[in-house]
Amino acid sequence: MYESIIQLNLHDKKKRAEWMTFMKSLGIADFSDKEVDAIDFTLGMYDGDQLVGTGSASGNVLKYIGVCNKGVTQGSRFNAIINALTSRLYQDQVFHILVFTKLKYSESFQHLGFTELAHTELAAFLETGSPNLTDYLAELPKIDQPDRQKIAGIVMNANPFTNGHRFLVESAAKESDWVYVFVVSTDASLFTTQERVKLVKEGLSDLQNVMVVDGGAYMVSYATFPSYFLPSNVNNVTYQTMMDARIFRDQIAPALHIGTRYVGTEPLSKTTNIYNQTLLKELPPKVNVKEIQRNKNESGQYITATNVRRAIQEGDVTKVKDSLPTSTYQFIKDHLGILQSRIKKGMNIDGN
Amino acid sequence: MEIKQTAVAGTLESSDIQIMLSKGNDGIQIDLESDVKKQFGDQIESVITETLKKFDIDNAKVKAVDKGALDCVIKARTIAVAQRALKTADQPAWEVL
Repeated sequence: MYESIIQLNLHDKKKRAEWMTFMKSLGIADFSDKEVDAIDFTLGMYDGDQLVGTGSASGNVLKYIGVCNKGVTQGSRFNAIINALTSRLYQDQVFHILVFTKLKYSESFQHLGFTELAHTELAAFLETGSPNLTDYLAELPKIDQPDRQKIAGIVMNANPFTNGHRFLVESAAKESDWVYVFVVSTDASLFTTQERVKLVKEGLSDLQNVMVVDGGAYMVSYATFPSYFLPSNVNNVTYQTMMDARIFRDQIAPALHIGTRYVGTEPLSKTTNIYNQTLLKELPPKVNVKEIQRNKNESGQYITATNVRRAIQEGDVTKVKDSLPTSTYQFIKDHLGILQSRIKKGMNIDGN
Repeated sequence: MEIKQTAVAGTLESSDIQIMLSKGNDGIQIDLESDVKKQFGDQIESVITETLKKFDIDNAKVKAVDKGALDCVIKARTIAVAQRALKTADQPAWEVL
């Protein structure tokens, strides 16, 4: 029996239809543009002219993996597809690979050297290659005698950093010996990762017991979580946040001795609200969760980064001036043109 | 010798071993995944370590996924990955064999 693996061009309508029919036969039915357009390349395995396996990659995340095992040794086609995908990524110098999959496939991936980072009853999150979670944790600044200290953690996207974020960190810094501020590293926001990190650092530079660190691949933002393989009646946000909470609880917090996670209440965003509910349910008793009431600016409005982004779009930053630290305000004023052109090019500003 | 870049050699096919070599600073640390780890884990690790020693690599992180490779295969894949990681793949080190 001769099997070959070739690249599939999903822009070709016929190929795409063939691929979708095959995935549907394996129970995957979500082909929304949001998921499919993010794919960088797709490989297909053929037995004669019959598609018998496929897998895709989007950045360093493996997606849409499916094989038909009819008449062949269990696992052989799966191994071949994963091998082809990873080899291709390694050739492109991508050495750290992630996969989100149904829980029942976690073991198959572990068999190929993947390590499970967290799972829920629906899904598992695994990684392979280098640098991995251990390497990431080893790079972070450590505190002497951490078991004697009160250490807190905060995760933020900070798109951009506002006085609301600042208030949250200040509250944590007052009540703790040390605070880790993790900035989500996924580059899918109006402000680039580099800009967000810079503004967080500048806005907190006077707080001596605060460490601003890169969230790495492990403070997962909504953008990286694929959800195509979940049953459609499952609330994606709940599943994504549950996974995120468990990675923090089981991997990040114990390694850094983080005892309390601080979150801001979110009166306006439903998504963040669900996220906070999930954290409250998942983290304790291992990690305490402390909700800090969102503060208002001088004119009595809630400070949110969403409002700041809207003001940028409208070109009237002065109206959010009292919601922003000087460093952020100055940055926006200096870069208003660039930021607005990003919005014009289609950058969504209403998300997180 | 110093590892210059992360590199990979080998596949996940049956009878092969896939080895990833990256920078380390705490000796040679091997993370081995193998169905026969219980029986041959020590042997596989010692072949990898011995081969890396011949390249004067003292610090490295090794991630190996074994699919039942024989010693000669393990050695060949280790040589390949070492030369790629050291960026010396254009000058094959025959004497290591």
